[in-house]
Amino acid sequence: MSEENQKRFEEIVERFVELKDTSELMIDLAYSSLLLNSRELAEEVQRLEEYVDGLHTDFELLVLESAFKKEEAKGLLGLIRLGVATEKIADAAAQISEVVLRGIEPHPVLKLTIREAEETVAYAPIANDSPLVGKTLKEVRIPEETGMWILAIRRRDKCIRPKPDSKIEAGDILIASGYSGGLESLRKLASP
Amino acid sequence: MPHFEKVKYKPVPVRDLFLEMKNLSELMIDLAYSAALFNDRELAEDVLELEKRVDTLGYLLEMTIMIAARDAHDAEALTGVSTVASAADKISDAAADIAVIVTRNIGVHPIVTEIFEKVEERLMQAKVNTGSAIIGKQVHELNLAANMGVDIIAIRRDKDWIIDPKETEQIRDGDVLIARGVQVGIEEFKELVEGRRLKLED
Repeated sequence: MSEENQKRFEEIVERFVELKDTSELMIDLAYSSLLLNSRELAEEVQRLEEYVDGLHTDFELLVLESAFKKEEAKGLLGLIRLGVATEKIADAAAQISEVVLRGIEPHPVLKLTIREAEETVAYAPIANDSPLVGKTLKEVRIPEETGMWILAIRRRDKCIRPKPDSKIEAGDILIASGYSGGLESLRKLASP
Repeated sequence: MPHFEKVKYKPVPVRDLFLEMKNLSELMIDLAYSAALFNDRELAEDVLELEKRVDTLGYLLEMTIMIAARDAHDAEALTGVSTVASAADKISDAAADIAVIVTRNIGVHPIVTEIFEKVEERLMQAKVNTGSAIIGKQVHELNLAANMGVDIIAIRRDKDWIIDPKETEQIRDGDVLIARGVQVGIEEFKELVEGRRLKLED
């Protein structure tokens, strides 16, 4: 494979990984919205669904733009189908969040995996002077410090699944769940 | 034409059906991606089997919900369960779509796998061979998370799936294990399961 194609391939795969990560994050967020009966989280899932639609279109265009040889085309077809599947997963997440947005009374069965009923969802925007800026999640130990659990990091249009080595940037919004008591300390850390 | 099994009503609690659908559909995503990315036909076929199971659960859940609704209030509350269950069914369908990429030999370009391995946790499937050091051990005795950074997410024993096995589940000869974890740990664990590595720690 030519160097140019190799580069293009890497770009396509990166887009796909973002599609995959976002769709899986959406499932987590959708179930969380259900368990916490949180309209905010449900709306986040709906917003992400639109974002994924755009991402998916860009991804498909990128694949179509590439002029690969016949033997490489089959591998790309597999990628296109993977993309379609992630889109389906994102749709399913949106369907789950719709239950919350329609105000359907949460049935006890849906709350089975809930951790604590009094938990809330919090949004904490990261200010420029926050001590969290430039640090990884592993370093800042937010659950230990605040009792809040990070569900996702919103960065501009994107939503990132939290991993230990995810770095926090100024302007990020941390989406977290936990007791309302922890909310205050998280907000203080995020924007002192 | 595929064979569609007739689903006969069985009295199973809604919560059991719902939880199994939710857990299976999420597990299937992991299994399906690894089948596609590592071009593992066997794993892909397992996903297609699980998809049938989720379909059956979906029918049973619908039947149970219909019987459970006594009035308008029940119906309103249960429609949420039904909607979420159908979403879980969609997720399992998406996982099956991914599996079909493998079973129909459409394939994913090897370079995709190469790049993907850098960013994704890995999954593995391995059969417990006679002579493996883990036979007869309970899951917690293996202490996998601490020793290897690995987590067994499913065990296939004969035709049954044990999803998210209990800590006290005993590993048997011939079990098929599916595990997730960091790449190095996964490789070590595979050797252990197949009896190519004799000790748990070395």
